[in-house]
Parts: sequence; C-alpha cells; structure tokens
Amino acid sequence: MTCDQARLLIGAQPGASDPTLEEHLRTCGACRQFREEMRALDGNIRRALERPPALAVQRAPARSPWREWALAAGVLLATMAAVSVWLLRPSETLAHEVVAHVQAEPNSWLAQQHVSAAEIGDALKGAGVALHVNSDKVMYASSCWFRGHYVPHLVVQTDAGPATVMLLRHEHVRAQQSFNEDGLSGVIVPSGAGSIAVLTRGAGNPMAIAGQMQQDVQWLPQGK
Amino acid sequence: MRNSPPESPVSSISERLSGPDRRSPEGRLFESLRPDLVRFAHWLARDRALAEDIVQESLLRAWRSRDALKDPGAARAWLLTIVRREHARLYERKRLELVSLDEVAETQAGAQLGESDGELFSLRHAIMRLPIEYREPLLLQVLGGFTTEEIARELALSSTAVLTRLFRARNKLRVICGIPAAPDVSDSEAAS
Repeated sequence: MTCDQARLLIGAQPGASDPTLEEHLRTCGACRQFREEMRALDGNIRRALERPPALAVQRAPARSPWREWALAAGVLLATMAAVSVWLLRPSETLAHEVVAHVQAEPNSWLAQQHVSAAEIGDALKGAGVALHVNSDKVMYASSCWFRGHYVPHLVVQTDAGPATVMLLRHEHVRAQQSFNEDGLSGVIVPSGAGSIAVLTRGAGNPMAIAGQMQQDVQWLPQGK
Repeated sequence: MRNSPPESPVSSISERLSGPDRRSPEGRLFESLRPDLVRFAHWLARDRALAEDIVQESLLRAWRSRDALKDPGAARAWLLTIVRREHARLYERKRLELVSLDEVAETQAGAQLGESDGELFSLRHAIMRLPIEYREPLLLQVLGGFTTEEIARELALSSTAVLTRLFRARNKLRVICGIPAAPDVSDSEAAS
C-alpha cells in the first residue's frame, strides 16, 4: 500500500482498520500521524454534527410598495423614450442621408438631355420597381448604392425645374415626412412596399411630384 | 353537489401519526426517529423549516410503504434514505430559493447555546458550507452510519468515488481546524 492509498482510506474512514493499512502504518510515521489527526478531527466532526447551527437569513429590508411602483414607472418611461427614439431616428436619418446622397452627385441636377429608356431600365434593374413614366421627362437615371441596396436615383424635369426622385424599396416610413435642408425641399412618402423620396430646389413642390410618382411607380413582388 | 376539499398531505400524516396509528408499533417507531431525521434533513437542506417539511413528507411516504420495512432494526437507515431522496426530489421539483451562506449568520440565541468552543462553531459552519457532493456522503456516513458501499448504492456512485469524496470533505475541514490540508488524491490513484 502506498502513502496515497493509505491517506485516502484514512481520510475517508478515519476509524476503520484494515490489515493492509495497519501493515503500512507500522512502517510509515507520516501516515500514522495523519491518522491520529484525522481521528481527532472526526471526533470533532461527530460532535459538530450533533447540532446544526441555528442560522438566520439576513435578508435585505423589505422595499416599500411605492418604491416598486416608482421603479416600474421609471422602467416604463425609459422604454417609451427608447421606443420614441427608435421611431423618430430612421426617418430623420433617412431624410438626411437622402440629402447627403443627392449633394454628393451635384451633376445629377445639371443634365440637359433626357436619358434613354434603356438607361432607365438599367437604373431600375434589380430594384424591384417598374416606372410608368414618359422617358423624355427623365434627365438622369442611375442605380446608386444607398443604405445597403442599389436604388434608382432619377432626376425628372417638371414645370418648376428638376426634381430628384429616389425609389426606396427597403425603407419604410409610417407617414409623409417633409423636410428642408441645405436649400433643398424634400418629402418622403410611404409607397407600396417601400417609400419614395423627392427633393427639389427652389420653387418645386416635392409633395405634388411625390403624389404623381406614387401613381407612376409599380412595386414588383420581391425578387424581381 | 359540492366537492370535498383536497386532502392535505401534512394534515393527513399528522392525523395518522397522532391518531390511532401513532399507537401502532410502526407509528411509535417512526416518531421516535423524528429528531434524528430532522437533524439529518437540517444538515442537508441547511434550513430548519425546510427540514421539518422534508421529514413530514418523508414520514408520509414511509407510512404508505411501511409494509416494505421487514426489519424494524433497519428503520433508521431506511427512513434516512427516504429523507435524502425527498430532499433531492424537492430540489428537482422546485427551484428553491438558494440562499448564499454569506447571507446567513448564526442567531444570537444559537451562538449562546453553550457554544463556547470556537473550533466546533467554525466546524459547524464549515460543514454547512461544504458542497452537497461532499456534505451528503459525510452525513450519510457520520450521522447515518452507512458503509461506503451503502453510500455508493444510495448515491449511484462507485465505492472509489465515495471514498474520494469523503477524503476531500474531511480534508477541507482539516484546514478549518488549523491543520494543513493533505495532498489531494486523484480518482485514478483512489482506484488503484
């Protein structure tokens, strides 16, 4: 028997006696001492187990009901604030990003000649939208990367001057959003599966154009 | 027609053991062992009130299957195993509120109950803090008088695993008593 095996037996059963163990103990002073210590400890363990300690749980003082209500109200207000921010953020950001995108393509306003039907088709390609509009009114047509998708970016000629139209299949607004930023007047309106953004400079009426575009645009089923 | 109220298990066992059945040999035997059972359950559950509930439920179960007890001399061990299983079942059935022992302190009354031996006081708390896998075999051995093989059967462990757990339980308690811990034994060493 090794010292490890002896210690295991002694530690597990300090009072037990085994011929093999006794033989080991006759020649191993360290294990003999270990057994003496463990037997003394075991006596104390037995005495200790005679009576479980009288324990009392020290609990936190009870909260007042008002505190619970205040906490609940606080959570509710915080939730409402978060929801409000969530609801407001996209549209405001969307309008700003539409303006920023148009400003990044200043030449789009300057086109003097209308684009071909093929160019319009290219701009609409993969955007999930068909446009029923006379091509001679479209002065600019491009498929632009916007918010993770290619979207048709058009400039149409109106009586009050050019107007930018972006057909945003993946952007959803709950209601019409009008805005003015950096000399541009704009509106984003819900339309079918997505939304339409219209920007004008000067005297243009974006809302009227948006209304017309809502009639001219046909949203195609997803994947077309 | 009104339904009769559901029978309460607690009142049922109470009535049975305090009624005619209490005068029966089995009833008297069970009642005589109740303090031992409560003490055992208290060390297991670490809560006196919970221990009382466990024992009450255990006695009900024992009473229902008292025919299985052939040898009255084995009643104590038999009832202790029922208490242990009831304790385990309680934790499986319910997610009991776990109380950290850091939040628990010995009450003034308890501390004054002739507790002059600081080492014993510390030892009691150290045993309470032992993880259940160490505390349970130790209680079965010391309080229940179970052999290693009996503990192994009850806990569905190998005898070697029981020896190792008992060794480690006492080794942890050595430190509380100011004795350096012995080198740990691995399971493979224990098996050899």
